[in-house]
Amino acid sequence: SSGINAEWPLRPGYKLYFEHQTNNAMLYQRYIEIGRVCYIRLGEHAGKTCVVVDMVDQKHLLVDGPMSGVPRSTIRLNQVAITDLKIAIPRGCKTNKVRVELTKADISTKFAKTSLSKKAEAKEAKAGLGDFERFKLRVAKTTRNRKIRSTVRKLKKSS
Amino acid sequence: KQWYQRRVAITAGDEVVAKSRFWYFLRQLKKVRKVNGEILRLSLRSNTSPTKIKNFGIWVRYDSRSGSHNMYREYRDVSRTGAVTQCYRDMAARHRARAHSIQIMKIESIKAGDTRRPLTKQMHDNKIEFPLPHRVLKYTKKSLFVANRPSTMQ
Repeated sequence: SSGINAEWPLRPGYKLYFEHQTNNAMLYQRYIEIGRVCYIRLGEHAGKTCVVVDMVDQKHLLVDGPMSGVPRSTIRLNQVAITDLKIAIPRGCKTNKVRVELTKADISTKFAKTSLSKKAEAKEAKAGLGDFERFKLRVAKTTRNRKIRSTVRKLKKSS
Repeated sequence: KQWYQRRVAITAGDEVVAKSRFWYFLRQLKKVRKVNGEILRLSLRSNTSPTKIKNFGIWVRYDSRSGSHNMYREYRDVSRTGAVTQCYRDMAARHRARAHSIQIMKIESIKAGDTRRPLTKQMHDNKIEFPLPHRVLKYTKKSLFVANRPSTMQ
């Protein structure tokens, strides 16, 4: 909703500072809330997903991940990345209820499709490369970049 | 001969500190020293319901630089010991009170309706939600100097 009414004439080429904000439905899409699926970045259970079950304070969450092997425990907000996924659970509900809602919403497959999960997988794959694989990667990169650069040069010359 | 027997609940990091504090408090209650007394039992009381968030009211007596004061403080935590830890850290931060000058008088799990502090009360919302605007994360592997500013969107 653009409730901005610019009464002064804008110079051509100038945009209102907050114009791009009003084009979005909401400025913030992801909220920390009960039922939010989070990805644990740091700590003992790094790499696993969990659900926010309750909030201790502004910096700590009570979190549970029955499907991914995260025990019901408190976690710092720092250790966590928010995903787009959310399930409907009452505040402070039991682990079994969380498990039921997770399977109902099929979060594991939905999370596998997110870019966060794919990036984590790619990072893991890259870390697991052997010496020969790394050589092959390097060769593939150089051949690709060579082709790109030569094409760009040709286009520059012709224009 | 009259026997004097007393049980004291102590919050401490380890057994040694617990015993020491026991004698400290006991000396205030009865004229007896560690030399003249004997600890009959030292047992650990485990935290009840460690996965349920509770509001703890902690009554503290502490010595400041110019006098002794009583305080009532509130902390939200999953365990009594966690709340007491928060209390010690908080007292050190806000009042520069060291552990030796703090006495925890009472710890009580309080119902949400009976809490007094706004910081605790603000979490008592079943539909609580907040975004993370301008999220600044610690750099773990990235270099200190980068070409482009990092994104602070959650």
